[in-house]
Amino acid sequence: MNRSRARAGSGVFAFAVALAFAWGSAAPALAQTAFAPDYWFAGTHLSFDRPQFRSGALAVAGDDTGLGRFLGKLNATLSYQPGQSYVVVTSGDRRAIAFTIGDARYDVAGVTQTAAFAPYVSGGAVYLPFADLARALDVVPVDDDGGATVLQPQIASLDVRPQGRVTIVTLRGASTLHFKRLSADGDDRLSLAFTGIASTLERDRELAGPALLGVTIAVRGTPRNPTTVVDFRGAPNGTSALVPSDSANAVSVAFAPAGVALGGTAIPAAGDATVAIAPLNAAPPAPSPPPVSAGGPQTEATPTALGLPPAGVDDLHVIPIDQGLDVALGITGAVTYEWHRLTDNRWYVDLKPATLAIDAQTVPVQNDAVTSLRIKGFVGPTDHLPTVRVALTLATPRIVSLVPTDTGLTIHVDRLDDLEPQKVGLGELTGGKLVASIVPLPVIAATPPPDSAPLSGGGSSSSGGPPGWKFAPAPPAGVNARLIVIDPGHGGSDRGAMHNDLVEATLNLDISKRLRALLVARGWTVKLTHETDVDVYAPNDSAHDELQARCDIANAAGARLFISVHTNSFTTGVLNGTTTYYYKSDSYGLADAVHARLAANLPTQDDGIRKENFYVIHHTNAPAILVETAFLSNPGDARYLKSSAFIQSVAASIADGVGDYTSPPADGN
Amino acid sequence: MKTLRALVVVALLVVVVALLIGRFLVARRPPFGDSIAVYYAKSDGTTLGKWSVSLSPDARDLASVAFYATEQAVVGPPPDVMAVRFPSGTIARSTHVTGSTATVDLAGAVDTAQSGSFTESGEFKALVWTLTSLPGVSAVQITIDGARVQALPGGHLELDEPLTRQSW
Repeated sequence: MNRSRARAGSGVFAFAVALAFAWGSAAPALAQTAFAPDYWFAGTHLSFDRPQFRSGALAVAGDDTGLGRFLGKLNATLSYQPGQSYVVVTSGDRRAIAFTIGDARYDVAGVTQTAAFAPYVSGGAVYLPFADLARALDVVPVDDDGGATVLQPQIASLDVRPQGRVTIVTLRGASTLHFKRLSADGDDRLSLAFTGIASTLERDRELAGPALLGVTIAVRGTPRNPTTVVDFRGAPNGTSALVPSDSANAVSVAFAPAGVALGGTAIPAAGDATVAIAPLNAAPPAPSPPPVSAGGPQTEATPTALGLPPAGVDDLHVIPIDQGLDVALGITGAVTYEWHRLTDNRWYVDLKPATLAIDAQTVPVQNDAVTSLRIKGFVGPTDHLPTVRVALTLATPRIVSLVPTDTGLTIHVDRLDDLEPQKVGLGELTGGKLVASIVPLPVIAATPPPDSAPLSGGGSSSSGGPPGWKFAPAPPAGVNARLIVIDPGHGGSDRGAMHNDLVEATLNLDISKRLRALLVARGWTVKLTHETDVDVYAPNDSAHDELQARCDIANAAGARLFISVHTNSFTTGVLNGTTTYYYKSDSYGLADAVHARLAANLPTQDDGIRKENFYVIHHTNAPAILVETAFLSNPGDARYLKSSAFIQSVAASIADGVGDYTSPPADGN
Repeated sequence: MKTLRALVVVALLVVVVALLIGRFLVARRPPFGDSIAVYYAKSDGTTLGKWSVSLSPDARDLASVAFYATEQAVVGPPPDVMAVRFPSGTIARSTHVTGSTATVDLAGAVDTAQSGSFTESGEFKALVWTLTSLPGVSAVQITIDGARVQALPGGHLELDEPLTRQSW
């Protein structure tokens, strides 16, 4: 009896296993046909190629075309590398949603949540929990009267940020935020209707700020066609404007009370984030009052006579470079510095207020540029400030420059000698970034016109400019001492950046031709890499061919200097300014001289000199720089770039910088 | 004699087993902690900031973490942080670590955005600093759609050789 019951039991078990196996084999097909959810999304049905179910929840393959359409409407992307563990979905407002295969926990912009099931791989495709993914993307399922499930994108984030007396509100949604302005222009109340999107933030909020009194969010329409209306109650007689946001899924509006100037873009009758191009130019907040001494024992760094806590010098790194030396100092905090060059090739810099967080030491150095290096900390005998001194003994009177870095300051000892070196210099760093040069740069008169002045032989010019600035090396043999090659960036099929009705290639060529005219008038031979708006190598060529062709022109001609002229851009209009790039150490002097003129003469923000491995300034033999004259993506800079006076000033500044850097061009080679 | 031989064999077996267990434990020891640092370029284009992202306990092999770090660096910090970012629509297709070099294959908008030198520099600097903060990785080779390129179309930054922290 027991045996027959056991046989019967085993038969039932075998049947169950067979049934389960058959069900398992057919399950995906059944899921697709019988249980495929009826989703409605963005005005149409949403279906998936091969849906599966895990733990009662829908699983969708990463390469499913339905999922692709869903993500595309939300401006989201999915990345997965077969064989690895992580799957990252990037939302349209730039949040990373990170799943791990085999782990039900997932991460949304740093917040860990738990999905219905762990992602898994089947048939070579990764399967994700669709409901959890949709929720993370701020898409909410809502039942409608027709029995379908509507996937509603939501406005899910309202960020209210005071900035001085101005308040900036940023709304972030699951998809592109298209708005219509419902309120009249000039109303204290601003009402924006966002079509095709609902909101999880539906309620009234009292803010009672100086610029914004409150915000009410209400959702209207049907589940399939929702509209979110956002009412901002501004201060009486206040103003509002759109300001740039970093995503099409976000809209930022700034509010100012009466009497406070507000930049930004006037809010049109309809639009989205792309119409906001003008940056906010509100008055900066008032400086904080000075700290009041508590009188008790102090646990933090003591403020000094300069009003700053002492910075920490916590790292020293010696990097031999091409016949020179870099000494990289790690500095935490703000310091001023003062350097001195003594007559016997000793050079030192004092950083203050600063304490030495590493051991005082003499670093054994033996190279062509530096014979000894010492660092120590002490208290200044006259100012009583904590001071860190780095002292070098130079092999010869080398060019020494101080270059701010991400982490502090680098003392750059060049391979070249400084023919008439300066004896002292000052500067200031805040958090590792150079903010000001306390000593103004020497005033340099323009290089005399051609053939009107005798050759100075590299000494001071006849124009009366102070000595000590002409540190350009004599051109080596084989170099045409008169020749400068100018490279107008982009051109032809490569238009460069385009913003604010400006085209980079056109601007670069205009500036370059003006620069050529100025340099030719001053006695230089000038060659452009392209005289008209064409590709240098060939239309639609590769970046390598195009860039190398420009270098080839300079190298084949034996150019003494190479100057590439560009106009900068950014994804939004928030950045502005002028930057000069160099890469090779022998190009820093040229960059320094040209940038000094640009910074002094142009109304644009001084964004400084930067070292960057840009192709054309790496692969040219001559000292080479790349000038980014201004940001055509910034409305203010764009206005400058539309002015011929500004364009001419850019060209003149570069030409003056070349004159500062070089001796007057020599006769012949 | 037999007893001695047996003891020697047992001792050898114990040593072999201990070595195998030790090797297994060393191999299993994850090279990463609970999180990794991801860098971003601040709006001055030069200064770097960083945030951290957590790692799943069972996904801490270098290959997975390198790809994950790439993804996070390409996406950038949370949206309310002002940062220089890769253009929206940039896709990281793969990251493979060979020796001390991580090869990152990018696609999508990075190839067409004409971002300008400022953006190019900041976005790649952040990516390189992120990956070179992983143990054993000191250089990053960029490829676009699977191919090594000299520079981005209409771009500036030289990409044909691996980038390192010293590239900036």
